[in-house]
Amino acid sequence: MIDAAMNRDQLEETKLGMRPHRGLLEEFWHNFKRNKLSLVGGVIVVLFFILGFLAPLLTPCNPVKQFDALRGEHNPLPPLSRSKEGHLFLLGSDKFGRDILARALYGTRTLLELAVGAIAIAFVLGVFMGAVAGYTKGSWLDELIMRAVDIMLSFPTLVLAIALLGAFGIGKTHIGPIVLSNMVKIMVVIAITYSPRFARLMRGVVLQEMTEDYVAASKVAGASGGRIITREVFVNTMPPIMVQASLMMATTVLTSSSLSFLGLGLQPPRPSLGIMLNEARDFLFLGAWWYAIVPGVFISLVILGFNLLGDGLRDSLDPRQARRVQR
Amino acid sequence: MSAMLLQINDLITRFYTEDGVVNAVDDNSLYLNERETLGIVGESGSGKTVTALSVMGLIENPGRIEHGKILFKGQDLLGKSEKQMQEIRGKDIAMVFQDSLSSLNPTLTVGEQIGRVLRFHTKLSSKRIQHRVVELLKQVGIPEPEKRATNYPHEFSGGMRQRALIAMAISCNPALLILDEPTTALDVTIEAQIFELVNRLKEEFGMGTILITHDLAVVANSCNRVIIMYAGRIVEEALVDSLYERPLHPYTRGLLNSILRLEEETQGTLFSIPGEVPDLIDLPDGCNFSPRCRYANERCWQLDPQLEEIAPGRRAACLRVNDIDE
Amino acid sequence: MGTYILKRLLLAVPTLVVASMVIFLLIHIAPGGPVRVMLGPMQDEVLVAKLRHQLGLDLPLYQQYLRWAGKALHGDLGISVTIQRGASVMSLIVQRFSVTLEVAFLSIVVALLIAVSTGILSALRQNRLPDHIARVIALLGVSIPNFFLGIMLILLFGVYFLKPWGAGGFVPLRESIGGNLIRMLLPAIALGTAYSAIVMRMMRSAMLDVMGQDYVRTARAMGIGWASIVRKDIIKNALIPVVTVMGNAIGYLLGGSIVTETVFRLPGVGNLIITGVFRRDFPVIQGIVLTIVVVRIVVNLIVDLLYSYLDPRIRYGRGE
Repeated sequence: MIDAAMNRDQLEETKLGMRPHRGLLEEFWHNFKRNKLSLVGGVIVVLFFILGFLAPLLTPCNPVKQFDALRGEHNPLPPLSRSKEGHLFLLGSDKFGRDILARALYGTRTLLELAVGAIAIAFVLGVFMGAVAGYTKGSWLDELIMRAVDIMLSFPTLVLAIALLGAFGIGKTHIGPIVLSNMVKIMVVIAITYSPRFARLMRGVVLQEMTEDYVAASKVAGASGGRIITREVFVNTMPPIMVQASLMMATTVLTSSSLSFLGLGLQPPRPSLGIMLNEARDFLFLGAWWYAIVPGVFISLVILGFNLLGDGLRDSLDPRQARRVQR
Repeated sequence: MSAMLLQINDLITRFYTEDGVVNAVDDNSLYLNERETLGIVGESGSGKTVTALSVMGLIENPGRIEHGKILFKGQDLLGKSEKQMQEIRGKDIAMVFQDSLSSLNPTLTVGEQIGRVLRFHTKLSSKRIQHRVVELLKQVGIPEPEKRATNYPHEFSGGMRQRALIAMAISCNPALLILDEPTTALDVTIEAQIFELVNRLKEEFGMGTILITHDLAVVANSCNRVIIMYAGRIVEEALVDSLYERPLHPYTRGLLNSILRLEEETQGTLFSIPGEVPDLIDLPDGCNFSPRCRYANERCWQLDPQLEEIAPGRRAACLRVNDIDE
Repeated sequence: MGTYILKRLLLAVPTLVVASMVIFLLIHIAPGGPVRVMLGPMQDEVLVAKLRHQLGLDLPLYQQYLRWAGKALHGDLGISVTIQRGASVMSLIVQRFSVTLEVAFLSIVVALLIAVSTGILSALRQNRLPDHIARVIALLGVSIPNFFLGIMLILLFGVYFLKPWGAGGFVPLRESIGGNLIRMLLPAIALGTAYSAIVMRMMRSAMLDVMGQDYVRTARAMGIGWASIVRKDIIKNALIPVVTVMGNAIGYLLGGSIVTETVFRLPGVGNLIITGVFRRDFPVIQGIVLTIVVVRIVVNLIVDLLYSYLDPRIRYGRGE
């Protein structure tokens, strides 16, 4: 039984004036490095980014090339088997005779592209809205933005994405003279779905920072409103936002792969991990386990990596966690 | 002379932290008689609270009581099991902490929380417990006790919460009451009321009391004897009057000088002891107080002073105690 | 507490109204207009005009909204245009809702039982083996997408263990209770795992927060037994933030059931909305989204109620 309150107080009392004072960022980095889990997460994430980025170099073949295809479908081949022409399917082939490893690599690439793009847009949108709302706290603008955020949040993310895609349709979309590729459209849809969370978070963090002493000091020193918020407040609001961004990358990957599983994402023959899982369903009873396991594991690992990273970042920020003691 | 209620011998309590070993209580001995009030005075980190927690048996990871004896009514508390200690806590020895909004469970009524203590330590019926709770609230000066017993902690003011905590502590008529900075978070007027209450209760119930505080002024009114602690060690012990009349240890002098006296003229600057409390993991060689002591000499920097009996009931840990004069 | 509930209710109504407006507008953001989309390749101008009039799409926007909203309040969510011509959307939803509800309900019950008990255990045995195991499983539960988990379960039970119920499909309750329930097992696990993991993590973290609170220290100092402290101080207070998470995560369940129904081929509402998207049946899409949003808002209200009941600070407001 650990009596944390008792000893926290005593510890605080008994360890005075000792360690050199660390800034928030340094403290953060120091704790982050010590946290093994977040390092693992970071490694996984970086690994998959590399895989995705270098897909064209690492791929054993063209992901849409169909080996041995006579007409349409045929049975998927297990890992380490060969096509009639001698191509080695390292992780097996799919129903069209395409190399699963190649498709998985490219699938990872598009998945990460999508997720990063979506989060970037959501971030910019959400952080901007949240900052404006926070800074003009109490005004009609603040109310308006927060009401909009509340309403958006009353839609479950996947449902909202499905509804929006349902409206826009699948495939390329033409809005007047503008043509949106499918990928961009999905990115925008997901971004719209997640920006409210960023907005709400940013507003909360901004409000908190505004009550800090240094902001009041700034105001007294005569700094204008814009300067206050952009320089000092912004820097200090970034750490918690970054934590959320990482965790949201995890959910974004989850949502976008769910969408493609449902057939609402990137359309075939573009390789997509979600679609591979969908196709795999029909072949489970024929014993083609690799068809489902490979893309599934890829997706799971990416999500796992972001979760570990985000958890680790969050723990590094929490001063209580940081002062965890031995024995 | 009253009997010895509490006797602490050579207590050593350490905390094993990631940054090093903290000697929170560094080989201290003290005693308390029945019906006596002992004040333990020191700054944050001096070890005063850890001493109290050691008595209560509430030192947990990463802390450990390494050495010593704690005799309560003749029995060594350090030899007791957790279960045995649970019976003693709240019943024979009770501790009141500094109030904070979260000292009381927000989801239970105040009456339920006091009643719980009674249920654990007595065999009283529910009805009797209910009566006793109201009685206790009345005794600590809370108006409308019947109604207040059904209130939740957030409906109480800070002063009232402190009274409720005291009510909880005295509910089973403990022989020893420990108060840890009971009024630090409260206004001066409320503070006065609380001390008046404690004094009255002491008279009525004859409890031995330990009052832990950083405020020497508070000690003057409530205590018989005083112990001054610094960096985990006891540096002086005396009867209250003797201490005020003639403080021996330089630290004590410093503390006394820091108290603003209204009667005297204050010319010039406010007095405060220069320097900071040392890092308990990295204590200075020689006397712990030497870096901040204006009387410190070569010997002080090198030798660690022991707590010595200068006169009956008078102890001080200073190498220059006989040399210094005001 | 009364004012608190009233305030939440009052807040819920405009949220619902605006959300419904958004849903309503969904049709109209489809490029080319809803009618052309629904007709697909058969773009006869006369037909287009006729359909527009029939669906009331030639009226000004706000009037359309009012018509639609008014009908919705009476339970009329329109007519399906492509899935089942002429069938009322409401009847389609009602038909399938019980299936979705059953899966969701089972998932929640099992998930909560596991999550709460594991969370409590994990916190009490912090950093020891049971805690580490639980945290790893929870992390996996949150990271493995539910469709992948569902497929793996099918692989395991349907293919390798050759259980007939392992392949999905649905047996109505009136036909066979056993048959129905066993087929709900895998979908419930697939759907509930992530939810369970989220709640478990919250429970654990809330417990740890509470364990560091001063009132736990007070109770210990008064000699209160650990069992009583765990029950009345720790768990009682930790449940408060957990209840909020339980409610919020329902949103995840609503979305997740769409996926789960697709994986296990269950005739629920989730399956229906996907078909609606593929067949461009806007009334169906709108009707289902509206239903989901209503459910979400209602659940939030219930959670608020529960929250105010559990936390006396909300129930009795500011005292003194």
